[in-house]
Amino acid sequence: MRTPHFRFGVPIVGVLAAGVLVGCSSVSEVTRERVARSETSVQQAQQAVGRSEAGALDLQRAKDNLDQAKTALSKKEGQKAERYAQLAQLDSELALSKSQSASARKAADELMASIQQLRQEVARGNAVATEQQ
Amino acid sequence: MNRSYHVVLTLALAGLMAACSSTPERIEDLEVARAVVPQVEASPRAGVAASNVSEARKALDRADKMADEGRKVGDIEFEAQVAVLNAQIANEKILTAQAREEIDKGTAERQAVLAEAREAQAKAAERRASTLEQELADMRARKTDRGMVLTLADVLFDTGQATLKPGAYATVDRLANVLKEAPDRKVTIEGHTDSTGSEDFNLVLSERRAAAVQTALLERGVQANQIIAVGKGMAYPIASNNDPAGRQRNRRVEMIFTDSQSKVASDVN
Repeated sequence: MRTPHFRFGVPIVGVLAAGVLVGCSSVSEVTRERVARSETSVQQAQQAVGRSEAGALDLQRAKDNLDQAKTALSKKEGQKAERYAQLAQLDSELALSKSQSASARKAADELMASIQQLRQEVARGNAVATEQQ
Repeated sequence: MNRSYHVVLTLALAGLMAACSSTPERIEDLEVARAVVPQVEASPRAGVAASNVSEARKALDRADKMADEGRKVGDIEFEAQVAVLNAQIANEKILTAQAREEIDKGTAERQAVLAEAREAQAKAAERRASTLEQELADMRARKTDRGMVLTLADVLFDTGQATLKPGAYATVDRLANVLKEAPDRKVTIEGHTDSTGSEDFNLVLSERRAAAVQTALLERGVQANQIIAVGKGMAYPIASNNDPAGRQRNRRVEMIFTDSQSKVASDVN
């Protein structure tokens, strides 16, 4: 009685184990980590972009792609999750770099404007002084 | 600069093209990647985004290979998108580097302009420090026992008129500046005429001429308490009234500068 029972049990356990293995390989720990990393990047980009215009569209696309990655993850679609996560990662990096380049450009333009203004003031000051002579 | 704008334009155009992509035969993402990746690679500042530029190239090469092998469109699109995004990130990094270079250069330039401004200010202060006496000496004021006396010739007025001619403005401007720079200095403005016409007429005319100069100085911001205007009529000629040249010299406004009000007051009295 014992032995046949045991014999029956072996294949069942084997199939179950195989099922678990397949489940793990379809959405690997690496993919989960990838999605988690993308989420962190999206959050960082969110902080950098804030309410400014530069990078806002890319940030939105990053969020959409992250959502897609999470959905794929819940459906155990490993490759899809991996790809959406990668795109979300790149979109958030693009949003971040756009916001950085916009603020650098703004700072450069403001500096140039202040130099221009300063030059004009110097020129005006000199002009007045010359008139007085 | 131009190249980067070119890249931006191309990327924008690429975005539009990608938005309209639907046909599977022509993979728009791949076309975009083929256009933008070489551009960022060619940028002289590509080094600031080396990893993105190399990732873009690797992804594009993978996409090209997959396209040659006739692989699934979705797979090719993914690699192409990775290439484009990396190229866009590289482009932003290049633009940032460019702006920072400008900031570095601009900061140095600003320092130089500030130094220039300070120098100009110092020079202006030096000019202001030039004393009233120097200014008056420049204007050929005579030193008399009454103080420095500056004679304004009759060319400042038309005959019989007490309205300053435009030609007098430069002189009046200069006097006004001198007085404004030295608010503790006082001036007595004396009007004089030649002997043409009655004594009363000339007295009134001389008063009006002195008043005209006074008004012009007040209009230019000189304090009222620095100026006294009086008419002396024809009583104090400095030349003969018998010939035109002498009469012209007698038609004049004299400005007597002293360094204290008491001295002017005593002089007027």
